[in-house]
Amino acid sequence: MKISDLAKLNELKEKAAKKILPDKPYIAIGMGTCGIGRGAEVLFDCFERTINERNLDILLKKTGCFGYCSEEPLVNIYIPGHPLIIMHKISENDVIPIITGIVKGIMPYRNVLCRVEEWDFITGKFKFGEGLTDYPLWNEVPFFKWQKKIVLRNCGIIVPDDIEEYIAVGGYFPLYKVLHEMTPAAVVEEVKTSKLRGRGGAGFPTGQKWELMAKVKGDQKYIICNADEGDPGAFMNRNEIESDPFMLVEGMTIGAFAMGASKGVVYIRAEYPLAVRRLKEAIRQAKEYGLLGENILNSGFNFDIDIVEGAGAFVCGEETALIHSIEGKSGRPSPRPPYPAERGLYGKPTNINNVETWCNIPVVISKGGKWFTKTGTERSAGTKVFSLVGKVKNTGLIEMPLGSTLETIVFKIGEGTGSQKRVKAVQTGGPSGGCIPVEYLNTPVDYESLSSLGSIMGSGGMVVMDQDNCMVDVARYFTEFSNGESCGKCTPCREGLAQTLEILTRFTKGNANEADIHKLENLGKVIKNSALCGLGQTAPNPVLTTLRYFRDEYDHHMIEKKCEPGICQSLFSALCENSCPMHMNIPRYLQLLKEEKLEDAFESTLRDNPLPSTIGRICHFHCQMKCRRESIDAPVSQGDIHRYISDTIYREGKAQKIYDRIIREKLPLTHKRIAIIGSGPAGLTAAYYLVRLGHDVTIFESESEAGGILRWAIPKYRLPLEILKTEIQFIKDLGVHFVFNTTVGKDVTMETLENEFNTIILAVGAHKDIALSVNGNELEGVLSGMEFLKDVAKGNKPKIGKNVVVIGAGNVAIDAARTAQRYGAEVTVVYRRLKSDMPANKDEIKGAEIEGVNFLFLCNPKEILADTNDKVRGIELMKMASGDLDLSNRRKPVPTGESFIIACDTVIMAVGEEVEATFVRNFGIKLSSNGNIYSDHFTFVTSHPKVYAIGDAVTGPATAAEAMGIAKKAAEIIDFNLMNKRRFHKLFRGFDYSDEVPLKPEGGNRHYAVRRPFEERKGNFDEVNMGYSKEQAYAEASRCLRCDVRVTVNTEED
Amino acid sequence: MEIKKINITVNGKPCQVTGGKTILEACEEIGIKIPSLCYLKDVSHNASCAICVVEVKGAKTLVRSCINKVSEGMEVKTYSPLISQVRKTNLELILANHPKDCLICERNGNCELQSLAFTLGITETAFPKTKKVDKIDDTSLSLIRTPEKCILCGRCISVCSDVQTVNAIDFSGRGLRSRVSTYRDKGLGNVACTNCGQCALVCPTAAIVERDDSKSVINDIYNNDKYVIVQTAPAIRVGIGEAMGMEEGALVTGKMVAGLRKLGFDKIFDTQFTADLTIMEEGFELINRIKSGGTLPMVTSCSPGWIKFIEHFFPKSLDHLSTCKSPQQMFGAVAKTYYAEKLNIDPRKIVVVSIMPCTAKKFECKRPEMNSAFHYWKDKLSLSENDNFFDVDYVLTTRELARMFKQTGVDFSKLQEEEFDTPLGISTGAGVIFAASGGVMEAAVRTAYEVITGKPMDKIDLKAVRGFDGIKEAELDLNGTKLKVAVVHTLKNARTLLEQIEQGESPYAFIEVMTCPGGCLGGGGQSIPTTWEIRQKRADSIYKEDRLKPIRKSHENPAIKALYDEFLIEPLGHKSHELLHTGYVKRGVY
Repeated sequence: MKISDLAKLNELKEKAAKKILPDKPYIAIGMGTCGIGRGAEVLFDCFERTINERNLDILLKKTGCFGYCSEEPLVNIYIPGHPLIIMHKISENDVIPIITGIVKGIMPYRNVLCRVEEWDFITGKFKFGEGLTDYPLWNEVPFFKWQKKIVLRNCGIIVPDDIEEYIAVGGYFPLYKVLHEMTPAAVVEEVKTSKLRGRGGAGFPTGQKWELMAKVKGDQKYIICNADEGDPGAFMNRNEIESDPFMLVEGMTIGAFAMGASKGVVYIRAEYPLAVRRLKEAIRQAKEYGLLGENILNSGFNFDIDIVEGAGAFVCGEETALIHSIEGKSGRPSPRPPYPAERGLYGKPTNINNVETWCNIPVVISKGGKWFTKTGTERSAGTKVFSLVGKVKNTGLIEMPLGSTLETIVFKIGEGTGSQKRVKAVQTGGPSGGCIPVEYLNTPVDYESLSSLGSIMGSGGMVVMDQDNCMVDVARYFTEFSNGESCGKCTPCREGLAQTLEILTRFTKGNANEADIHKLENLGKVIKNSALCGLGQTAPNPVLTTLRYFRDEYDHHMIEKKCEPGICQSLFSALCENSCPMHMNIPRYLQLLKEEKLEDAFESTLRDNPLPSTIGRICHFHCQMKCRRESIDAPVSQGDIHRYISDTIYREGKAQKIYDRIIREKLPLTHKRIAIIGSGPAGLTAAYYLVRLGHDVTIFESESEAGGILRWAIPKYRLPLEILKTEIQFIKDLGVHFVFNTTVGKDVTMETLENEFNTIILAVGAHKDIALSVNGNELEGVLSGMEFLKDVAKGNKPKIGKNVVVIGAGNVAIDAARTAQRYGAEVTVVYRRLKSDMPANKDEIKGAEIEGVNFLFLCNPKEILADTNDKVRGIELMKMASGDLDLSNRRKPVPTGESFIIACDTVIMAVGEEVEATFVRNFGIKLSSNGNIYSDHFTFVTSHPKVYAIGDAVTGPATAAEAMGIAKKAAEIIDFNLMNKRRFHKLFRGFDYSDEVPLKPEGGNRHYAVRRPFEERKGNFDEVNMGYSKEQAYAEASRCLRCDVRVTVNTEED
Repeated sequence: MEIKKINITVNGKPCQVTGGKTILEACEEIGIKIPSLCYLKDVSHNASCAICVVEVKGAKTLVRSCINKVSEGMEVKTYSPLISQVRKTNLELILANHPKDCLICERNGNCELQSLAFTLGITETAFPKTKKVDKIDDTSLSLIRTPEKCILCGRCISVCSDVQTVNAIDFSGRGLRSRVSTYRDKGLGNVACTNCGQCALVCPTAAIVERDDSKSVINDIYNNDKYVIVQTAPAIRVGIGEAMGMEEGALVTGKMVAGLRKLGFDKIFDTQFTADLTIMEEGFELINRIKSGGTLPMVTSCSPGWIKFIEHFFPKSLDHLSTCKSPQQMFGAVAKTYYAEKLNIDPRKIVVVSIMPCTAKKFECKRPEMNSAFHYWKDKLSLSENDNFFDVDYVLTTRELARMFKQTGVDFSKLQEEEFDTPLGISTGAGVIFAASGGVMEAAVRTAYEVITGKPMDKIDLKAVRGFDGIKEAELDLNGTKLKVAVVHTLKNARTLLEQIEQGESPYAFIEVMTCPGGCLGGGGQSIPTTWEIRQKRADSIYKEDRLKPIRKSHENPAIKALYDEFLIEPLGHKSHELLHTGYVKRGVY
């Protein structure tokens, strides 16, 4: 049926409106490639079968994609008179309940994502119905809330294979208007007014491009739609065509009229079979209805569209290469000028626009250019469709007004990483774009802002990366892609990218050096400046932006030969080892234990970590956060095992033999004198390694005993004193001198140390409580957490009352709470964020809860209230609400204005600690802006060449293991600096153990050590965690998947 | 078109240059040489190497001066730290995958890459090799391709497709696997390559070179059992001088003869002798075809690249070709029959070496049918098929001869001029001009006119067919018979005329085709570089030699007369048919 006039078009629209709002229920299934991938096809069959079997009067539709990938398959349910319901994550099991419900006229209630009462198709509006207010409106769902659907106006709502549905929502009226009421020049003018810019990435003003083309004279002109979308992680164009092919066909037809072209080509990659199929069908139907082909809409205008399927070369997205490809030549760009508008396809004037650009055209015509400029920014009008993927909770296709910030996209729409992991960067523009670090996420997304950060808008790929992504590897990955897709024509791109890749690969293998950084920068500059086409000119962006924003990661790979996120395989043995600050060879001691070589297992841990039994109790267990076993059930309890190993060795009296061996192994005396200030975990670790290297090590400690935070801040129910003493005694036995009760800067000056020692190591820790500025914090009854714990550790009776409030959420807060609770107090922990945001060990929090500690979350102290004697009588707390996600991937606490008072007599402040380094500053050593001691990231040298600083004194409060890790690295460097020789490796040895990988996961589920019964904990400081039994330890060790064992398979290309 | 001067600023200084030129050409005009590599005037505008980059005010990136034209008010910088960095790095990138064995490379001293590295001051290997080494393509009898030395400038491809329309080679593979290759990597010897060697002539490095046969020739010279005679093509005397350090187009006939004698050849002969013979045979063939209503137009068959081209691309039109062998092959056949008999030498001991401006001749001499002398002697000497020998044993290009001269210490500048040996060294001006496009036609007309009309030609210079226009036409009046003839050089132009023939629209009776631009003097085996300016100088020398020759018409060559009297009896006679004429093969494109 050919449509010849407006009346017929209107008639068809009226008729087709029944398809959008039928008088019977319908079920529509999202059948984009993504939906099909998640089972939509099977689901459709299931619905169809059920409806047929029961002979029901329910329509079944195949719609396009609504964009919410992570919630696929999506199903729309419509019952006349009700809002449209969008359901998510629907499986075959849901089919029967849904259909049964519909038959009864009851809307489904499970798996409902949202409701749509009214839908603005921009070219027309439809009202589905009202009610069902229990479900959120579609634009109340975070994923949709900030979006504006102009291009995606019909996607997921209408049936892409039916031209009548497209006409029903106002389609082809713009074309009618253009052909019968406008001149070509007027169309160009309207597009210019809209300020629409090329959505393929470069952002050239579309109206201007059309004007140039319209002015060129030629017997034959072509227009081309570039649908050669090929960036990793980008699927905007695919979905636009799959879900609403007619908007592209109509857009191109309007463009052809405006520019005087009679032929159009859609160049689409063959990897998009569904899009090709739907587009072919759309072209067929458009011709059938007289909307394409000869004499369109009876206007005398002829235009036809061909489809050319590309073989999937990324470079064919470049317009000259694309033209060559259509002509049957190999896809290699040619230099411009001449531009396609002068000499394009088959030498004829040609205009190329991206899919999305064409899709905007019907709207621009329908609503007018002015209307279009109301969305977006002054220079970047309208919206842009992005594919939001990567480490983000909500993934999918989103359409944002230009100028929205990346923060909105990542944290509001994407709702952050959806895990405890932090967002590190966002890669925009695919392999041609750059990595934008989290600190810059408040940048508005428009052409100019992104390019000022070294990235580009590109076609709209947006990959979110978290802390587990290695930025060097990211750069390598994208460079590998560009290198593989380089056409090979021009030198800078062909050779330059290959060399860039070679250098980046060297980084990922730990073989790079400083000169390589310069080479990367040089190559990037040269390629950017002299590559022939856009692919080459933008290909260095991933490298250049990561160098600009993540230089420290390159340094890690280069200097430390480490890849912190554990991506670069050559740089670590197993993920647990890699994430352990001390790089303990965890798979090794697990295997040694499994093989019942207990002594070897102990020696293995001891060589890696001087305090195996201590750290086995109190560590944050960085290793567990990366354990691959977690992907099966739960991580291996590596720490519990090394605690078991050392506890057993100590208990059985087998330690001395091993100690003696290590003492015998001490390297000959070097007569280098080293002073270490502070005997906390960092100081002890540095001393342990340095003394074994033959140096003369003296530790100055202001307290009467060694151990620092281990001795004075960690309660004995977590770390029994005798364990710590045993381990420290061994360090003494190795020959480290301890000078107690001596405060450097008071009892002995830095100058004296400087004169008497070759090297001074500052390991003073961070133990000064940060004072919370709140009214009343000077009252009697307000204590600092650290001081309170220390007082207890010294054996003093603490000065607390009956009702204790602890402010804070870290380990100090929990330790203080549980300690106070042991003294019989009623304890409440107050924290301004959520429980899941608490930095303290989960195990400790759980312990506190069991022991009866109360928690108040989303509360912040407003004022500490005094009684008449200036003693604490209570605390006023501000109720907080959970706001938007901030850049740390946690929800911001926002004061609600509502407060309440709880009575208490003691307030313990434990909101964090800071470094006390007055004597260091007085000696003239530089401090960092945050008050920590400054020392070089890799050499640990302070501003004084003889003085090193390590541990919390440098980093601020961190974990004991992290402090020890730094100390271990520093010991190696200090020894090298003193002796000018690499000797550190001599402190380690190999062990015999099997490298067999378990063929299937062994050891069962995770084992938990027995905890002391709650009743037995009251009023005493006996250790709560009683440790593994032998059986538990062996079983747990065998749960290790041995990812340290690698089989190298030669996968050489060709 | 009016040539307009426009104002631009170069390196801060305002200047006037010719409008419509590229930045590179415009800068050359005002005395600034912008280094370039892939660019080759009239051949390649591939714009791939990124060496000739300059800064243009307002441009986002550096601009390639070889393809971007100057415009009024343009501000150009041809040198800056950034430009220098980009040029150097790009060249270093190219060098990363190029072997650094300059010392043992045949283009040592005449390599554009080598001299550019020197010009840009490259002093270190900045980048490691990243490419796998492709196999050497030695499938062709004429040309050897060493992909490792290829810098992907695309000149060979441009010349093969744009100048010759042969398209035997093209880029294949992507990215780092980009390479110049033949259809399905079959190798030049197994595809529709015409062996014209224009690719070797434009190659900036030694990625495509002629197959070097000079070592075998030297071995035969030093073999006392062999009687080694050499023939030199007309174009050598205007090409070899350049290769020996003399001025472009230097005419060095006598020195060349002296040099060849120093090399130890037993006899120094001239292909021009058989060029004259070709005129006799071909002239009579044309007359015959006209008289007897044979296939017209008749097309010359001297140029072996052209022969292979028509065999591949126009196999239906092979009967338009003259059946005459090329002068080189006529020489071989005559030398091993007539001359062998005359001197009473066992033809099997005679080694015929050709010095040619042509790489296709290497293929031609190995065509299986090019063994007329063997058939001539087969019965007389009771030879078996195993004794088969070719009429011409070796073909050396101008470049190989120069190499031999240099290796054997022939100091060209000090040589006294010497004469060719007789009788196969005696030639006319008509033989000389075979080197230039239009020369065969002109030589043929000089003879045909007199044979047909029986009267001497008053103006023997046929200027209409001289010069480098692509397709040249002339109309001859032979006793009232009007004859339209055409002359083309390059296979692209030949294709045009062939298409005309196949459409049945050719107005010509006789067509001369030379494969290479400008004719043999611009042959694929000539000295490098060969530019249009140089071709012109060589042509000038050729026509000068023609003017200086006492005899300028082939049929007046006394040695040719003697050959007919003593041996061949008459043109197109039985012996001619056996020794001087040949047939062709239908090859097709794949």
